[in-house]
Amino acid sequence: MEETEKDRNIRILHSGVFTPLRRWATKWSLWPCHFLTSCCGVELAHTGACGYDMERLGTLNMGISRQANFIMVEGTITRKMARALRIVWEQMPDPKFVNVIGACGQRGGIFWNSYNITRPSDIVPVDFFIPGCPITPEGLLRGVRAVQEKIEGRDNTTIRFKHVELPPGDGEENRAPTTPKIFAPTPLVRVDVPRDVDWAFGNDLVKNLKAQLNGLYTSITITEKNRIAIKTTPENLVETSRKLSDTMGVDHVKSVNVIDVPHERKFMVEYMVSGYTEELMPVILTIFTEIGREAEPEITSLASLWESANYSERELHDFFGVQFKGNKGMKGKFLLAPDTPDTPLRKDFKLEEEQYTIEEGVPLTPAITPPHYTPPSSSSPSYTESELEDLKMPAYEDVLKEAEKNDEFVAFIGPHHSGSGHLRWVMRMKGDIIKDVIPDPGYVHRSMEKIAENRLYIQNVPLTERPNISDPINMNLGYVRAIENALGIEVPERAKYIRTIMAELSRIGAFFYDMGIFPLFMGHSTGFMYSFAIREMVLELMVRMTGSRCTPSFIIPGGIRRDISDDVLDRTRNFTSAIHKRLKKYENIFVYNPVLISRMKEVGVLTREEAIRCGIVGPFLRASGVEYDVRKAEPYEVYDKLDWEATTGDAGDCLGRIFGRLEEIKQSVEIVRQAVDAVQGMPRGGVISEEILGDYKEASDDIRGYLYNVYGDLVLPKGEWTSVTEAARGTVLYSIISDGESNVPYRVRIITPCWMNLRGIIEASKGERVADFWTVYASFGYFPPEADR
Amino acid sequence: MKMKSMKKVVGPEYNLGDKIKTNVYAVGVAMQESVYPHTATVFYPRERKKMPDNFRGFILFDPDKCISCFNCSFVCPANAIRMKEAPNKRYYPTVDYGRCIFCHFCIDSCSGGALKATKIHDVAYKDMDAMFTPTEEMIELPEIIREDKKYVEYEIKEDDLHLKRTKGEDYLFVEVPPPKEIPMVSTCIDPGSCIGCRVCADVCEHGAISASVEDGGTLRMKIDTDECTGCGLCVKECSMQILMLNKLERE
Amino acid sequence: MMEIINTLMETVMSNQVSIPLIEPMLDSLPEIPMLQYMVAFMLWKPIFALLICPGLTVGGLSLLFFPWIERKLCGRAQWRVGPHEIVWWLGGVIQLLADSLRFLFQEVIVHKDAHRPYFLQFPFLSFMIFLLPLLFIPAGTIVAIQTPYAIQIILALVCLFPLFILGFGWASNSRFAYIGTVREAFMYFAYEIPFIIAAIAMIILYGTSDPLLMASRQSIPGIILNPVAALVFFIGAAMATGRMPFEIPDSDQELCAGPHVEYSGIAFGLIYVLCYEKGYILSALMTILFLGGGSGPAIAGLGDLSGVFWFVVKTYLVLTTLFMLRAVYPRYRLDQGLKLGWSPMLVMAIIGLAISLVVVAVRVI
Repeated sequence: MEETEKDRNIRILHSGVFTPLRRWATKWSLWPCHFLTSCCGVELAHTGACGYDMERLGTLNMGISRQANFIMVEGTITRKMARALRIVWEQMPDPKFVNVIGACGQRGGIFWNSYNITRPSDIVPVDFFIPGCPITPEGLLRGVRAVQEKIEGRDNTTIRFKHVELPPGDGEENRAPTTPKIFAPTPLVRVDVPRDVDWAFGNDLVKNLKAQLNGLYTSITITEKNRIAIKTTPENLVETSRKLSDTMGVDHVKSVNVIDVPHERKFMVEYMVSGYTEELMPVILTIFTEIGREAEPEITSLASLWESANYSERELHDFFGVQFKGNKGMKGKFLLAPDTPDTPLRKDFKLEEEQYTIEEGVPLTPAITPPHYTPPSSSSPSYTESELEDLKMPAYEDVLKEAEKNDEFVAFIGPHHSGSGHLRWVMRMKGDIIKDVIPDPGYVHRSMEKIAENRLYIQNVPLTERPNISDPINMNLGYVRAIENALGIEVPERAKYIRTIMAELSRIGAFFYDMGIFPLFMGHSTGFMYSFAIREMVLELMVRMTGSRCTPSFIIPGGIRRDISDDVLDRTRNFTSAIHKRLKKYENIFVYNPVLISRMKEVGVLTREEAIRCGIVGPFLRASGVEYDVRKAEPYEVYDKLDWEATTGDAGDCLGRIFGRLEEIKQSVEIVRQAVDAVQGMPRGGVISEEILGDYKEASDDIRGYLYNVYGDLVLPKGEWTSVTEAARGTVLYSIISDGESNVPYRVRIITPCWMNLRGIIEASKGERVADFWTVYASFGYFPPEADR
Repeated sequence: MKMKSMKKVVGPEYNLGDKIKTNVYAVGVAMQESVYPHTATVFYPRERKKMPDNFRGFILFDPDKCISCFNCSFVCPANAIRMKEAPNKRYYPTVDYGRCIFCHFCIDSCSGGALKATKIHDVAYKDMDAMFTPTEEMIELPEIIREDKKYVEYEIKEDDLHLKRTKGEDYLFVEVPPPKEIPMVSTCIDPGSCIGCRVCADVCEHGAISASVEDGGTLRMKIDTDECTGCGLCVKECSMQILMLNKLERE
Repeated sequence: MMEIINTLMETVMSNQVSIPLIEPMLDSLPEIPMLQYMVAFMLWKPIFALLICPGLTVGGLSLLFFPWIERKLCGRAQWRVGPHEIVWWLGGVIQLLADSLRFLFQEVIVHKDAHRPYFLQFPFLSFMIFLLPLLFIPAGTIVAIQTPYAIQIILALVCLFPLFILGFGWASNSRFAYIGTVREAFMYFAYEIPFIIAAIAMIILYGTSDPLLMASRQSIPGIILNPVAALVFFIGAAMATGRMPFEIPDSDQELCAGPHVEYSGIAFGLIYVLCYEKGYILSALMTILFLGGGSGPAIAGLGDLSGVFWFVVKTYLVLTTLFMLRAVYPRYRLDQGLKLGWSPMLVMAIIGLAISLVVVAVRVI
């Protein structure tokens, strides 16, 4: 019988004279090659940090595959990443072990029907599976212990279920119900449904726009407060945009979107634009046009006008096959892997349907075709020509030739690299100076937008926080606010305050995540440990409020899932004073460290104009001197009732970005303190709006028991509903398009801050030294799952 | 153009004196901590962090309270919960932990309180097939390998974070009161439009809907209000959309 | 025949490590000729120096336990505990034994593009370079080879280390290894000059480069006589061992450990301890130059071992300080490291030299 790859490890461990010694040594020296593919990596970082300290067990995190003997696959392995997983596994010396942690790597978790995921167990032999989304650090350590036990010869599942026979009976056979999802057969997709709003400035603006764009537009509509839709023709699109840019001060693109309407044989292309002038800041102008639905639809790119549209256009080219004429990146795929289905976001590409019952003979999960990327093996010792070409993507032959001509050194950094995160950088350098960096994102692209079109509105709540579980509440809040805006629901006051508290805690948590990864990139493990110790406190509060460390799914349309107890509020109040002691130590040892200051000062400078041109958002934009904070410009929840300051700076270098966020942490602590004081003075209960509860008004302080009954058949009114929210790393934009009949969204567009910041990283690192790339990269707090969605 | 309450943050400028001072501070913190550390570590395999009672872990199931309403299955974002026909022809949930994301939307949708949360979360499976948990195995609290002799609580006091260690094993399951009862009942709002397809009767798990032939040969569906659990399946399935869930007003 | 043995024994006996505490034990040894000869041979100073201290035994144990001490201490400063569970009542003290055994038993991968013979030779050769300087380092009064040029020889031999690192990088034939190797070469030039000038300053100060004489002339330790040179030497040692502010060549997050990126198994194990080896030698050198070598209050009954004891304690103190830098500092950029080496450190080294000259002049007057 042929030996499987999995058995080989154990055979190696158990052979030879030194077997006991060898087993003992391997048991206590499992060095994981951290395979931070997605969100579970956050919990891995916590396990390695001082809260749990994985090093206790002899498990020292090692970034280099040659020296590690243990892979922890943290979460989703996308089609693009599959190849890297296999290569890393092949690079490791025998004996080696693989644990898959998190539901995504098992049967897919929340992404089970995504078009871009694979199963790690198809690619490498897996020793243990640890359930959870994400796993807790305890679960992760249990996996390590299980591997240790396995090396000792006890290969066991660590849970034993007790079998209890179900009561027999003689009931009648019942029919299983059909799917609860309702899809309108011919949905009416409109993005410019007018709405009467009390918005005087808007009316003036529309008048002004009509005067400016005379003859260029088809219609201009106010769709919501602060939202204006401008319809134009494909021919006039560029001219309209130029007019807006030149005369109105519109300087950046917030989102680019394509909507596929197959039964009307058209694509709708929309650009959401805005300007960083005081009046325009909260306003989003949606310029949209319609093009025919052909195999190779074309439209003129606006990337030359607004650089910030560039990557989004390339992404949409992947998704819909729409050619943006004039954009240089239309060759090949950008986010998707070469073997991902083409144009997956078109409506005629169907995802696997949910099954609600178990029937004999039907497999539990749909079969996923394993990726056809296999690295050279004994049977096929080298890559084929086309595979080589794909491997080099996106640095095509012409780029490499040009680099060679200019005497540049090209290094492919990532996707598995101690300091790359999960994307790949093709770095062209001359000496120690970076000439250009070509990003190759998409290694964590899990097709959020497609999945969101196939789930109930309420089911998308957990989905929307998955891109960024270091800042889950803000991600959630954006989505939920879009729904609330659409339905016109007013959230109860207490719920608003609690949401604010949680959003700010989440923001603090995300900052400390970034400020923990940043020291790692600087080689300063103490900074990492200190900031994750503080983050551990935030998560302790989170778990007490919601029951989950990283993925609360706690904010639902109309309020929050349940009221939080006074005990937790007291702890939160204590936290606002307790944090300062540890923060002070963190500052002294890391942030104010002279070595670090010299590393950050005047490195990666983005001037105000450059920052706006690249379209970066959030604290990074503010560090370059743009005074835009959604919480101030378009206040939501209770931010306008609390006394706090947004931060800004004008240096625009790494130092400014880090110190700006350090100040924001302090402001957030202040917000939390004020909000907790306010909540403590309020009567308990009533945290879900009664408008949305309908018949279930009794559930207004705890949704337990009636979540599906209340939210299952939520239908949004027809139109496009856009919300912008200030997440920790910048503006997150959700745009939900509803047809008014289906209880699933027609299209959900998610623009995460990291996706917009990608361009900024590239621009800021050009001309810097090679080592500075990591300073710039980490100072932007880039989180690949968030960018790739 | 200045927005109100924007705080300008400027990074520090270091001269030689500052450099020496900050160096001394950094070294000082490291020395202070290596002598008297503020350790925050939980020694996991030998001790366990105490999770709050609302922690979202593995799911237990009580068949007596289940009304087979399919809500848990419908709401599950990962489609991890699927219903399986039991020997008594009722549909009961099964959980696939290879997909479960522990959002506990199912528990929040279970109006009878049949699904319950445990605090079990540290489990390693040898193979993926074992991750599917049939109904029979969800009824009693499973055993997990435990090496913990103590449990730790993170206590956030006003001055700092403290770790409180207590000897003994932490409990993994806590009984919570059932959710508030909101009695609902299915009613037909337009019996005249009924086409008599009997879908509602077929789908009803409790035999609350029966068909009877009235005089004149028209088929009439009758809903037994006492038997009806308000699960809403018939409402969802009704091909004419003439059924509605109404609040049962009990005198 | 007997004559030769007698002559040999005379030589051996004339240069014995005297340990009053175990002398009664030695005297009461049964009259087995071979055992007596063997004990005498072991206690012969050159052999004792080579095999026990500062040589193989203490050196090897340092390599085995020093990473543990470093990890434990850093862990403590970082609010965690470091290696612990392996024998938890001893705080995981044998963690490095497990790690090194694991490396020993693991597969050594030589990848396709590597220069195979060199790729495998260099890690083993690098261990030799660790043993050679140990011959010249005295622990107290015990030294393998006593020569008036010991400091110069040790410095010359220590300078061979980067050569091997360049060798790893070149034999690996990988892009990251290449960048790391180039960085190592740059850094080498940056620290070597101030580092040697600082050592020369001390040689001038003591008027000798014989370590034993140096120790005897440090009634006031060198670190007080010439703190500037001590600082330069210490920073130079940190640069030479690639410790934290200067972990530029093998920066883990940038270059995946640079020159060692392709090594696995025992080959990596040998490379992993390389910086600890170098750290051990440089700390010993610092002890000799600035901390008075093995001088210290004599401990009753230990005899010559008293010097050994003080030498080991001082060396470990320096080593701990050197490695605790990891908990305090992030990494410099290459150009900053070079700038630091070429300007402030060079200037400081020259100031150190001047201080030495002034001290010597004062002494003469």
